[in-house]
Amino acid sequence: MTQSANDLRGDQPSSILTRKLNAHVNVQFDRTWFTELQQRVDRNGPWDDWTMYQLAVEAEQSKLIASFDDLQCMRTLPALEPMPHQISTARKVLHEMSGRAILADEVGLGKTIEAGLILKEYLVRGLVNRVLILVPASLVLQWVRELNQKFGIPAIAQKKEHSWQNDVVVASIDTAKRDPHRDILLGMDYDLLIIDEAHKLKNKKTTNYQFVNQLRKKYCLLLTATPVQNNMDELYNLITLLKPGQLGGQSEFSANFVVDKRVPKNEDRLQEALSSVMVRNRRGDGGIQFTKRIVKNIPLPLSAEEQALYDAVTGFVRDRYNESGGDWSSMLALVTLQREVCSSRDAVFLTLVNLFKKTAEDSPIRAKIWELVEFIRNIQANSKAEKAMELIREMNDKVIIFTEYRATQEYLLNYFRQHNLVAVPYRGGMNRGKKDWMMDLFRGRAQVLIATEAGGEGINLQFCHHIINFDLPWNPMRVEQRIGRVHRLGQKNDVKIYNLCTLGTIEEHIVELLHEKINLFELVIGGLDHILERFEKEDQTLEQRLSKAMLEAGNTQDLRSRIQDLGDSLSRLKEEVESEEIEDTPIGAILDAVGQTVEVRP
Amino acid sequence: MNERQVHKFVQRYLETTDSRVVEKSPAHYIVKLSPQADRDLTNRPFYWSFVDRTGADPETMTMLLVTDKKKYEERQNNEQHDGNQPGGATQVNGTSAGTPIGAAADAAIGRSLGFVHGSLNTNQRIPREDLHFGSRKLEQLFQSAKSGGSYVCLFQEPDRKNAHPLQSTAYTAWLGINLKVEFACDMKREEFHSIGVSLATGQCVEEFHESLLGLRMTPRLPPNVHTAKNALTLNKAASLAESLIERKLKSYDYGWAQGAAARLEEELATIRHYYEPLIAAAEDEEIRTSIQTQFERRQDEIRWQYEPRVSVSAINCGIFYLAGIG
Repeated sequence: MTQSANDLRGDQPSSILTRKLNAHVNVQFDRTWFTELQQRVDRNGPWDDWTMYQLAVEAEQSKLIASFDDLQCMRTLPALEPMPHQISTARKVLHEMSGRAILADEVGLGKTIEAGLILKEYLVRGLVNRVLILVPASLVLQWVRELNQKFGIPAIAQKKEHSWQNDVVVASIDTAKRDPHRDILLGMDYDLLIIDEAHKLKNKKTTNYQFVNQLRKKYCLLLTATPVQNNMDELYNLITLLKPGQLGGQSEFSANFVVDKRVPKNEDRLQEALSSVMVRNRRGDGGIQFTKRIVKNIPLPLSAEEQALYDAVTGFVRDRYNESGGDWSSMLALVTLQREVCSSRDAVFLTLVNLFKKTAEDSPIRAKIWELVEFIRNIQANSKAEKAMELIREMNDKVIIFTEYRATQEYLLNYFRQHNLVAVPYRGGMNRGKKDWMMDLFRGRAQVLIATEAGGEGINLQFCHHIINFDLPWNPMRVEQRIGRVHRLGQKNDVKIYNLCTLGTIEEHIVELLHEKINLFELVIGGLDHILERFEKEDQTLEQRLSKAMLEAGNTQDLRSRIQDLGDSLSRLKEEVESEEIEDTPIGAILDAVGQTVEVRP
Repeated sequence: MNERQVHKFVQRYLETTDSRVVEKSPAHYIVKLSPQADRDLTNRPFYWSFVDRTGADPETMTMLLVTDKKKYEERQNNEQHDGNQPGGATQVNGTSAGTPIGAAADAAIGRSLGFVHGSLNTNQRIPREDLHFGSRKLEQLFQSAKSGGSYVCLFQEPDRKNAHPLQSTAYTAWLGINLKVEFACDMKREEFHSIGVSLATGQCVEEFHESLLGLRMTPRLPPNVHTAKNALTLNKAASLAESLIERKLKSYDYGWAQGAAARLEEELATIRHYYEPLIAAAEDEEIRTSIQTQFERRQDEIRWQYEPRVSVSAINCGIFYLAGIG
């Protein structure tokens, strides 16, 4: 603090006095205080208050760091209850690894908490002031929130160029490495650099790798659940980024430790070398891992009027697609329409109105849109909403309803209100204060939360264990995010997931695909991204492939077989991923020997 | 600092800044801040620069400062339960608020927010701050105390019983400094030292601050007091204080620094082993320079991380006139 104040002044270099204390260390006296005191004596004031003087001493004494190697930060975090393995990891990194380490815990064991503890400890000790945290763009806000809420660290999400001047900045690596940010960052000295999802730095030829390598940093934490995915070189690169030379030069490493790109040798030595830079906690086999996910699909027949609307919309969408001559990329709005039919007539109506406005006045399509609106008019009740209400009354407990559509959300709020069911909304567009308010209401008197958004926002809803998927996103990651809000560490009950699924519609196929083929709802946490990563490598996202299948299919039979194909290739990938589980390979065995097995309490 | 110590600290801070306590319990204060405290605690630099430029009467903030979160919330809950909504907080499936006014309020909120069920306490608009040790607001109080309590000049209040109207007591001026000593490498620990140096005789004492706490001090020169002539300049006194600390520090065990120096050497050897062959094998000049730069940067980083250092800086200091010739 005084040190940096001095640097700023610059014109008083003489205020630091250095003397040799012994062979190893010098002592520096900061004499800024003397200059200031002398000035006040000369001018006879101004003088400060005696009580404040005493309070200042008490404050400093209370913050004094009495010993080199205890964990000081815990007394400043009364609300945080880290798990034992998180504390022991933080201690190990601080005291045995001198603050440069790879945190390689398995997914769900709280690497963020470990990194937060280490960061907080360095801040409390005054060893770290300036911190850069690079994470995937989708996790920036979550990091900022966790650091602020759990650790009381004033972290800031990088938004503009001047954001970099803050002490603790969270940013996406893709932004950071681009101009003009790149030069700013390369000009800074970071006391601590944290990189989340560090396995993305496994290739030393990438710009990300080289950028991180060039950053000037004192301490450095790399977080990844998968330090090795395909071959031993990835591990070498990651460690070399952290501490060049730790595993020797590239050729030495190959000679000493590598038989084949997936097979190591001299396992004991390698393991020893790894354990000086890496901590990996694994979930115990015996311990209760997470509570169970219990999935129930609720098939619903549509009422005659709803079915009529569905068929009309399907016909409308197909006609438009055929007219467009197979150009499916412009048809996404129509796909949305088809999906909305399965949710609520309100959602369809809104989209139709927008479509109507966009259509030329003399277009014959306008009349067709009006026909569809007529179908909407005939619908008196929403079968899904009725069923949802029935479910909620039965469970008589807190429940979250997820829907993709804002209009459906509004409709449900109204519908529930008419039936004296206390519900609150939650959506992405709300500001933070309002979101927190809605959360408080839900925690308090509201029985139902109706959410249109599940991702990235770090909302913790462990106190609730019922989820109703009013409609399903076609992106499986979004489904997983929904469930993940509730089914996470701290959840004490089995989580019950209800999927409302209208029979004879596209929805029926989607539920079947996600549930039967990839067993999405019960999949081990963390398994899904691997499957999807491979799936998308081949072509487009699942969402795009589904849309395409739907538009191109001539009839229900055709559609069924196309979705069947998608499902088959997904289950094939799933088997592939499972068979390649790193745990069963020799590298995996070595990684697993680094660190400890943790029994996670539910 | 535990909750009680925080509570006491906050009380003394509020008193000495002339803030007005509106309501208090052993777990909280509701306080209307004084302008001085408001400037330091509320993060409103724009507001205050506006007040300073226009000379407008400042409107300071009222805050709820919770010094014991658990106790405070227990009390709040009890009050709620004793009040007019028995079991209100736990009841989930309740229908809309029973009273007509409650229903009207719900409707009004509903109109602006979609639908919200009203279990909200809308009359509470006083910002709340939890002041536990380590919280940001308490840290702000600490900072405020530090900046408002850096340099003092004080006189010991004479003991009234002995005061003879015609007798003058001799006072000696002392330089008092409270120091923080930091021992750092890749880890760190700290010590507090308080040193007093008599400007009359050059005598040095330790634990000076503790000895002051037993006395009553005043910023004004008391009657019937004269001050002894200073034999030392302030500069000389400061050097004496530093020598005292230096002698003390020399007697310490520096095993930790030796260990850090050894780690430093080991790390430097590791990267030499890595970079030197790379530099030797580099084919063109450009690559060699880039590896060389990397090598040097990494060396700097390692020194930055491990180099053992001891630094001494002042927390605050002052001139203290104490009875007697010291």
